[in-house]
Order: sequence, then structure tokens, then C-alpha cells
Amino acid sequence: MAERVYIAGIDEIPAKISVGKDELLSMTVIVFPGFSGSIPLEVLLKGSGSEVQLRGLYISSGEDKLSFDIKVRHEAPMSRSSQLFNGIAAGCASVSFHGLILVPRDCQKIKAFQENRNILLSESATVETSPTLEIYADDVECSHGATTGSLDPTELFYMRSRGIPETEARTLQMLSFLAPVLSGISDPVLRRRIARRVEKAVRGL
Amino acid sequence: MNMLEIHNLHASIEGKEILRGLDLSIAPGQVHAVMGPNGAGKSTLGAILTGRPGYEVTEGSVTFMGRDLLAMSPEERAWAGLFLSFQYPVEIPGVSFTNFIKAALNATRKARGQEELKAGDFLKLMKEKMSLLKMKGEFAKREVNAGFSGGEKKRAEVFQMAMLDPSLAILDETDSGLDVDALKIVSAGVNSLRTPEKSFIIITHYQKLLEYIVPDVVHVLKDGRIVKTGGSELADKIWKEGFENID
Repeated sequence: MAERVYIAGIDEIPAKISVGKDELLSMTVIVFPGFSGSIPLEVLLKGSGSEVQLRGLYISSGEDKLSFDIKVRHEAPMSRSSQLFNGIAAGCASVSFHGLILVPRDCQKIKAFQENRNILLSESATVETSPTLEIYADDVECSHGATTGSLDPTELFYMRSRGIPETEARTLQMLSFLAPVLSGISDPVLRRRIARRVEKAVRGL
Repeated sequence: MNMLEIHNLHASIEGKEILRGLDLSIAPGQVHAVMGPNGAGKSTLGAILTGRPGYEVTEGSVTFMGRDLLAMSPEERAWAGLFLSFQYPVEIPGVSFTNFIKAALNATRKARGQEELKAGDFLKLMKEKMSLLKMKGEFAKREVNAGFSGGEKKRAEVFQMAMLDPSLAILDETDSGLDVDALKIVSAGVNSLRTPEKSFIIITHYQKLLEYIVPDVVHVLKDGRIVKTGGSELADKIWKEGFENID
């Protein structure tokens, strides 16, 4: 399996990747505060049985302007794709997420999932999310969803009732929200290294 | 001095009055059971005492160990020694029980002017309390309540209580979702924490739990106020006759 982790602004993120027959591509894009720019990514599932697991974690603050433009093209039968993008927007950051899943008519037995979850930490931060499906085949299992909200008050109260101060409770909530993306990184050393940087970034918000 | 003094407490949620003049005094070392039908205000009482957002106190006072409880934030109440075992414990995926309880315990110690527990002492305490509640070792690594059954969540609540060692613990329907075996384990855990200084409020529908955790005082809560107070025999009477005939 090919596992790739890219940090925006540091690593060069390829704009187009093809996945061949029975190959699995596992890819994570991390965006830390201070990055502004557009991240276009097109994944072509070329071979039958090919699979892509795409993950994104972004933390934008200050005046950051971030946009994702993700296209997943299923070009072979029995190909699978999953996308999970979780992000936090603080300060005056503006984030946009455009995600497109394309399944042409002759492409059957496809599984495609896409989820984009956002947390707004301030009233001046904005998130615009548009997950889109273009599906012309019949035998397709597909779902997509997008949410934008604030930190859950019940979770916050639960932690505070245990004596965890509000600021620390908020930090734990944000780490909890981002955790599903990190847990997708299968290399434990790499995962821990990224997790430490993510925690530092969250604490700096 | 009483540990808890509630005087003429009126509270509402979304403009609807739930508590209508509730009085309750709890001395150190006492176990009080609060029973009552659905909608009587039992959970609201727990919510008000722990400072849950969304509830408004419109009249009355609550004094906890000589301090004005209602003026304190939820975390300050915890630091002062108050604990609520939630009726519906919250899942926090991605945060391990170990890290969660360590954050809670160390913040509490810090607020009390104590040093943080050393890693070794913390783990020893975890092990001791886990074995008290007959929990498996893997529990420490699991994410807070994530994917737990109802019974596991309740047991984890009592574990947290044992770790935080509160002066006053409120158990809100801790028996719901527990089978008989789990009920016995949880009750034994609670009983082992009983001391002449610590007090408990047991909120429950049924008298079953009160066979294992025998209360000193039983209150019946109806329409937002306490309508009857008695000894543990009151729980049996309610069980036999229902809440209808109590007033």
C-alpha cells in the first residue's frame, strides 16, 4: 500500500494521481495555521478494484484563506473511494471545500463516500462547503455529507463537570474532532509525529 | 455544618418551571435517595447542582460546604468536591480515558494547591479503581465512552467518581441500563467509597438500587418539590404502592 502524508506549504502536493488495478492509495493532507492557498487534487481510479482513501485535516486561523478542490473520478468498475476532511476555522479564516465524485455510465459496482466536517471557532471565520456527486451508473453505493457547526456544548459541560477547565476542555474537543483523520494514518510513528504537531497547533488557537 | 443546603429552589428550562420551591439538607456522611415519577424534576436537580448550561435558577439558594454553589462554574464545583454521574454519559472519541481522567484529576489537584500526581502514582490509582469496579485493563486505552454499552458507560462513570474522590456525588439514574451483575459491582464500588465525611444523592425511579446502596434518607420529588421524606422503608412503600398515593 502506498501511504502518503503531505503538509501544505512544506510538501509538494501532486495535483493529479492515478491509481491502477487493485492498488490502494492512502493519502492525508494536513494544513496548519499560517497557510493560505488553493489545494487542487484529482484522483483517477483507473484500474478495476482500485481504491483511494483520502483524508484532510486543516486548522486555519488569522487571515488564512484555504480552498480545497477535490475531484475523484471512478474510471473503472469495482473501484472504491472514501474521503474524510475535518477542519477547524478560527479568527477571520475563510475555508472552502469543493468535492466532486464522478462515476460514468459504464462504471459499475462502485463504492464512494465523502464527508466534510467543519468547526467554526469564531463568528468572523467562514466555511463554504459543496460536496457534489455526478453519478451516471446504477450499481453504485454512495454517500456524502457536510456539516459546519461549533463545539458541542454537552461535551464541553461533561468535561467541565469533571474539573477540566474550559480552555483545556475545548482543546480536547478539537483534538477529538480531528482524531478520526489522524487515526487513518497507518504508520504509528508518522501518526504520532503529526498528532503532536496538530496538538500544538490546536493549543495555539 | 451541612454539606449541602438547598433552600426554596425554583428553576426553569426554556421558560418552563421545573423545580418549584425545593428544600433539601444533606449532612456529611449521609446517603439521600431522591425518587419520583418521570418529569418530577429529578434530573433537573442534578443539572442545577452541577451548573449545566440552559437551566435558569429563578429563586432560592444552594450552599455547598459553606459556599454559594450557584455562583461557581462547573469546573469550580468539581474542584470543590462535587461530582455528577450522568444519566447519559457523553462519548468523546479520540480522547483516551487515561488522558481524560488525568486532565480532570490534575486540574482538580492544581486548583486545590496540590502537586500533580506522578505518572507511576497515577497509574497505580487507575489500576486500583479499575479493579474495584472489575474493569478490564484495556479500558484505560479506550476512548471516552465511545461505542460503550449503556451498562459500560455507567460503570465508567462510577470509575471516574472513584478516581476523583468527591465529597458529594450525585448518581443520576445510574441503575438504568445495568443488569443485576453490573448493578452489584457498581453498588459495591459506591459502598466502598462511603465514609463518615462523604455524602451521596441517589436519583432513581426504582427501589432496586436502594437494596444495595441503603440510603439514610429517602425523598419523594413530585412536581418540582419534595412532597415526602422518610427512612429507607419509604422506598419499599413506593415500590409496593407507586408514586400516585404518596403526597
